[in-house]
Amino acid sequence: MLKNYITVAFRNLMKHKGFSFINVLGLSIGLTCCMLISLYIYHEYSYDSYHAKGERLYQLGAVFNNEGELEHRATVPSALAVALQQEFPEIEESARLLSLFRDDKTLLQYQESGENVKSFYESKGYVADPSLFKLLAYNFIEGDPATALQNPNTVVVTEEIAEKLFGEESALNKTIRISSNTNGDGDYTITGVFRPHNVPSHIDARFLLSPRGGGLENFFLNSTTLLNNNMFFTYFLLKEGSDAQQLEKKLPAFVERHMGEELKNRGSDRQLFLTNIEDIHLASEIEGNVTPAGSLTYIRILASIAVLTLLIACINFMNLSTSRSSKRSREVGVRKVLGAERSFLIWQFLGESLIMALVAFIFAIVLAVVFLPVFEQLSGRDIILSFQQHGFLLGVYFLLAIITGFIAGSYPAFYLSSFKPVQVLKGRFSSSLSVVSLRKGLVIFQFVISVVLIIASVIISNQMSYLRSKDLGFIKDQQIVIPLRSETAKSSYASLKAQLNSHTSIRSVGGSLNYPGISNPTDWLMYKEGSSAQNAESVVITHVDDSFLQTLGLKAVAGRLFSPDFPADTNNHIILNEKGVAEFGFPSAEEAVGSWVAFDWEGEQYRFDIVGVVNDFHFKDLRVPIQPFGFLLVNAPIYNYLIAHVNQGNMGQTLQVIEERWNALNPNEPFEYSFLDQDFQKNYEAESRLAGMIRYFTIIAILISCLGLFGLATFSAEQRIKEIGIRKVLGASVSSLVALLSKDFLKLVVVSVVLASPIAWYIMHEWLQTFAYRVDISWQVFALTTFLAVMIALVTVSFQAIKAALTNPVKNLRTE
Amino acid sequence: MIKITNLVKVYRTEEMQTTALNQLNLEVKEGEFVAVMGPSGCGKSTLLNILGLLDDPDSGSFLFNGIEVANFNERQRSSLRKQHIGFVFQSFNLIDELSVFENVELPLIYLGVKESERRKRVEEVLDKMQIMHRQKHFPQQLSGGQQQRVAVARAVVNKPHLILADEPTGNLDSSNGNEVMELLTDLNEQGTTIVMVTHSEHDARYSHRIVRMLDGQTVLTDIMV
Repeated sequence: MLKNYITVAFRNLMKHKGFSFINVLGLSIGLTCCMLISLYIYHEYSYDSYHAKGERLYQLGAVFNNEGELEHRATVPSALAVALQQEFPEIEESARLLSLFRDDKTLLQYQESGENVKSFYESKGYVADPSLFKLLAYNFIEGDPATALQNPNTVVVTEEIAEKLFGEESALNKTIRISSNTNGDGDYTITGVFRPHNVPSHIDARFLLSPRGGGLENFFLNSTTLLNNNMFFTYFLLKEGSDAQQLEKKLPAFVERHMGEELKNRGSDRQLFLTNIEDIHLASEIEGNVTPAGSLTYIRILASIAVLTLLIACINFMNLSTSRSSKRSREVGVRKVLGAERSFLIWQFLGESLIMALVAFIFAIVLAVVFLPVFEQLSGRDIILSFQQHGFLLGVYFLLAIITGFIAGSYPAFYLSSFKPVQVLKGRFSSSLSVVSLRKGLVIFQFVISVVLIIASVIISNQMSYLRSKDLGFIKDQQIVIPLRSETAKSSYASLKAQLNSHTSIRSVGGSLNYPGISNPTDWLMYKEGSSAQNAESVVITHVDDSFLQTLGLKAVAGRLFSPDFPADTNNHIILNEKGVAEFGFPSAEEAVGSWVAFDWEGEQYRFDIVGVVNDFHFKDLRVPIQPFGFLLVNAPIYNYLIAHVNQGNMGQTLQVIEERWNALNPNEPFEYSFLDQDFQKNYEAESRLAGMIRYFTIIAILISCLGLFGLATFSAEQRIKEIGIRKVLGASVSSLVALLSKDFLKLVVVSVVLASPIAWYIMHEWLQTFAYRVDISWQVFALTTFLAVMIALVTVSFQAIKAALTNPVKNLRTE
Repeated sequence: MIKITNLVKVYRTEEMQTTALNQLNLEVKEGEFVAVMGPSGCGKSTLLNILGLLDDPDSGSFLFNGIEVANFNERQRSSLRKQHIGFVFQSFNLIDELSVFENVELPLIYLGVKESERRKRVEEVLDKMQIMHRQKHFPQQLSGGQQQRVAVARAVVNKPHLILADEPTGNLDSSNGNEVMELLTDLNEQGTTIVMVTHSEHDARYSHRIVRMLDGQTVLTDIMV
């Protein structure tokens, strides 16, 4: 019996090659999408799943009340770890981690024998408690995790860094110089080398410094505040048998005991919470974690796309199978006459769809392997899996293929097996109205999915180009950013600036601690003249030199900018933005100038005179609204970045000039630079990736839908071949015949657009809410989509229609 | 073997209803060869469908080997059909995707006969029908006469007690038609009961008895000598 099913299924596949091709291709692509997207989802869920004590490891987080808006943050004061561990016996061990938050890159140097200095920049540096290696699983290939980082000025590096520095030689106990904007410059002894796990972790550390010996030592080890300096990631290992939820319930009382009074004075509150280490990566509600959280929303969007793409391919199979049913009805009749029960036939047809799905499965595996690198690039994730995981996933995909076969085959199987032999053997076969309606419904469903995806793609790409092109309130183009990472580099700032200023291709040079688009960790609670700390506003602060504001092209709307023309400017002068002026409640920018703002620290007031007000500008990305902002002048060489505004023209030559000057002043530090506009765009990486993926999957969904439509059009043209012949003989033109054949399909597409538009509008409206600055969803988007969908369908359908209409009618009539 | 009493079958559509069989009575004895004749639309095919348990009557009695089968459900009918009844159609109704051997084998598969036994029986019957050399061919590769021989082989492979033939020579030329009629006569002589619907007086003469139908009723029975 089985052999017979398989034989018939294969012969049917081979006999109806067009039908088989459309189905196998559609199912293969659908399955490939599912495989790739599920790999991504699997990867996202596998973060930190390798820690031996994973179920007992928790990260401490805090909820800040920002004027009624609750903000979950992953960073807390350093003293909390100690205080909590002392108070709660459930906590077996704790460890803190501090990101070198001012370093997008850190300078590592090794003095080789002689004068030769090997130096390069490294990212992802952290300061960590020695206990971190007791809690988290680190794979040490050199050194002892139990003692590494215990001594002052020690460092643990990845195998890759060790190789870069020392090649084949052992790295242990060698001394390197590390220059950090955050932790200062110093010599460090390597006490450990580790090999990162194959499974991803939310901690992406490439080197970890001991807290002792660095510039942050005091902050790290001696700070006693339980409310300020919220910049430490804190991990707890709970004792076996302890319940994290129970512990969490005791935290509000702890906050009340230790911080209650101060919080009351501030008119603020604070909550603490715990997150299991395996959940951290997808806890996207927690802001500012070690690495950016994965997005559950994006996972859901991608999973939906995967399922829908496969469903579109299944619908192709259903529709093409039922539309071809007249061709198979006689076979059903004969088999029934010969004694086949309906269940036999159901299994036979299911068997055919299963075989189709399995053939597609094989193709899909090949396609997935081929396209994995492309997908990795698109999704920004390196998907590394162990042999066991490969085996497991292969099993899951096989099951997926079987389920797909069942879903695609079930409806045709039940429909085809229901034929009555008496009718079909007499040739009295016609698709019932309900079957035809269902088929139309399924085509509409396919196109609704495609149209929603088209609209989403258009709106996302509109928003992305808006993000790229919106006026940010400062000049973002032609700005070269040069990081100054070591004391040497920082102290060379003035000479470098002077030399660059003298060059014709450089318009202006400025220095600052931060620049727009990158993280700015400093904000102060300030109040204006005549007010008090109770009415303080949070103001983002950055320190700049006397030409930074001009370099960025910021304009004074009142007062003036810092400038070399005012050499008497001191550190207690501030320039606010318009938003700051408004939030403080100054009647106007003009009236703010000459007044002052201040903050209190340990009982003392620190006052800053307002010398100017600048236009509002976007220091952060467009997801967040413009906040009060203050520039402070600093004349000491502590700038982390030199920004050079250069003329349009030969960028290569300009860069070469800067590099030469750099190398002359900093012979032991490689020259590095970036462009401010590109750095700013990096904030939208997740959105760019989503946009890219949706664009590709939209094309795939449309392609599969069109394959189905093409199949149906082919079949419809075949079925109506006699009608077309007669109409032609009676004088119908080719165009009228094409219109006749295409009309029905186009109607379905138009209905799809009508149904899809509100759905897409709703989804995209929700997505756009995540941006403080966004495009409007205009009617043009829907008009464009309608036009696109109709054109795509028309091209798909009319090919068959034209072919049928051009055929010699005599031939058509003879085939009858 | 077959006893039909007061059988009624009415076809209804939204606009009209047609009485295909009207209080029809018929008896066919074991080993008989009966030809059913009559003008188009007289109910011959409906009768054959009901005899083959492909269709059910609206009222009346249908005894098959003494058992009332008029009210059998789909599963019972299918089971009775595959064990006792063979069909031969005017348009052969071979499955294009299956070879000659596989087409003939099909009823045995549905009967659950073991593979070795199936092979033996299919070869036996193909040999008997003299189409053994064509067993690997597909229906499209055969002439009409050969196709109908395959169809007959398929009808008899499960050794049915009753063969229902619906104009078995309608699509054949006279020499091929005669060959098929000879085959049916041989089968009948070996004990198989045959009921054949035909328009051909020539074919009807191979039978023992001609039942003539008009407006859903039997009007005359000619006994052939």
